[in-house]
Amino acid sequence: MLDRALPALVFAGAAFYLLQAVQLPFGSAARPGAGFYPVATAIFACVVGGAATVLAFVSRRPEHVADAVDPVSAAARRRVFITTVALLAFCVVMPWVGYPLAAAAFGVATLLGLGSRWWTATTIGVGSALGSYYLFAVLLDVPLPRGPW
Amino acid sequence: MGPIEGLLYGFTIAMTPTNLFACFIGVLVGTVVGVLPGIGPVGAMALLLPSTFALHPATALIMLAGIYYGAMYGGSTTSILVNVPGEAGSVVTLLDGYQMTRKGRAGAALAIAAVGSFVAGTIGVVGIMMAAGWLADVAVQFGPPEYFAITFGGILLLSRLSGGSLLHAFVMVAIGLALGTVGMDSISALRRFTFGSVQLSQGIDLVPVIMGLYGVAEVLLLAEEGIARVNIASVRLRDLLPTREEWRQASMPIARGSVVGFLTGLVPGPAAVLSTFISYTLEKKISKTPERFGHGAVEGVAGPEAANNAATAGAMVPLLSLGIPFSPATAILLGALVIHGLNPGPLLISDRPEVFWGFIASMYIGNFMLLVLNLPLVGLFVSVLRLPQHVLATLVLMLCLVGAFSLNNSYLDLWVLAAFGLFGYGLRKLRVDPSPLVVALVLGPMMEKTLRQALFITRGSLVELVARPLTAAILIVTLAAFLGPLLVRLRPRRVIPP
Repeated sequence: MLDRALPALVFAGAAFYLLQAVQLPFGSAARPGAGFYPVATAIFACVVGGAATVLAFVSRRPEHVADAVDPVSAAARRRVFITTVALLAFCVVMPWVGYPLAAAAFGVATLLGLGSRWWTATTIGVGSALGSYYLFAVLLDVPLPRGPW
Repeated sequence: MGPIEGLLYGFTIAMTPTNLFACFIGVLVGTVVGVLPGIGPVGAMALLLPSTFALHPATALIMLAGIYYGAMYGGSTTSILVNVPGEAGSVVTLLDGYQMTRKGRAGAALAIAAVGSFVAGTIGVVGIMMAAGWLADVAVQFGPPEYFAITFGGILLLSRLSGGSLLHAFVMVAIGLALGTVGMDSISALRRFTFGSVQLSQGIDLVPVIMGLYGVAEVLLLAEEGIARVNIASVRLRDLLPTREEWRQASMPIARGSVVGFLTGLVPGPAAVLSTFISYTLEKKISKTPERFGHGAVEGVAGPEAANNAATAGAMVPLLSLGIPFSPATAILLGALVIHGLNPGPLLISDRPEVFWGFIASMYIGNFMLLVLNLPLVGLFVSVLRLPQHVLATLVLMLCLVGAFSLNNSYLDLWVLAAFGLFGYGLRKLRVDPSPLVVALVLGPMMEKTLRQALFITRGSLVELVARPLTAAILIVTLAAFLGPLLVRLRPRRVIPP
């Protein structure tokens, strides 16, 4: 399914991009406006995205693609899902709780999801969160958010 | 002052304790930021710029440049070991470097990368010294039409890097070009595709895109395939030395990469990134066994690693002789020169020889320091592999998140990282190479700007644009290089009678 969904998604994105691009001032060939290049890019994107979508639906699926996108084991899907959710959750909560707590929760959740025992996950997750905070925020002066405390 | 005389004078400047220390700090910081994904040389140079205000201009330049070329050494380490480019110039290294790691040749890949970087860096410095004025004269003749032809040709040729489906490569190019238009229009200052977001006005940064497509996607694949994907226990310290055959395979790609990298550095654009793609493509094209590329070919590590170091040297030529920065990193160096009251340009060499020649000599010293620092530390870096894979994967994700955020202190970059991580995961499942997307994202904004300027100059006449001798030459070479292999493939094969 992925081999058909991804080109279709790209084509839909290209069509949306074209709709946005035509609203920009186009100018003329002698004085190209802000929309001149985006429109050209959008047309190119629609053509190649459309061609890829059509080909994905009409042509026979290559063996390697069929193999690659065939359903993987439930355990593998669970690991990818947990990692993805942890990643997205980090993006959501970091502005609210700060880096150390968000990173610790992210580390523990990811490690547990990938198969670590809870005490290993807690030790490494919390340790790496605090260690990376010390390295980047304290030593390298990277302004990572501490959170409300 | 001739080149040899100038260089000797430069060594008297660069060998002072203060300048030696500044050079050491610069290359050390550069190596560290190169190793750490996301903490690139530009960010590190920007962070350290204020600390150079109290230094002599030559000392400041020596330290900041040390970070720049030091990062090229360090950037290869994470590309080779964990499939995450330490900085954008090391993206290509991971194609074969990581495959070498999976085959238990991580140490050899790291050693070849370090030696290749040293050789290329030194050749690049010789190039600056001997040819700065002459080559800068050529580069300065380029106008917007020539710049457009170069960027267009670069995207067209480099979209073939993956060697897979041309249609898929073009889809990747289209996405990269479209992403490059997000943000404030550089000519009219109009906000495009920002949907009211102030953060999007700055455009989409390259680094979170790269880290997502390569780093996060790789971690998701690791998560899917389980924690025993790579047998890290099989990497031994005695494997650190490349074999005689590996040295033989690496020698010519290093030489070619040095030349390609230096020449790429002379023209505008992300030379360190572009040069690696060009070098990789070149090595693959001329190889008698191109099918080895992407599966741990030594040439695929040696050439690009040499190229990105030589490119940093080449990029100094227009900066020092014309005062034009062709990359963000050289723009910071230019800023440092201006802050110190210097006027970068053709007069810099004659007016402030201690700065120019001291800087050139320091690059020789810095390259030697980097070799001495990096080879012994190869073992230390290899020890990273002893970490359990799932722990390493979690740490890599954490570094990616910190790296993406620290670029602009923007939460948007975190979302860009996550989005391109998922997109990259999908591409990897479909075996589509995302490299053309990266190239198009890098070159797209420059292509747009130069196209619009060129059309303005030629009053909208495309014929006039392509009829300029330099533009025509660049476009003809590009089309010949692009269409040549396709035509060869389409030519009917002679049927040999039984």
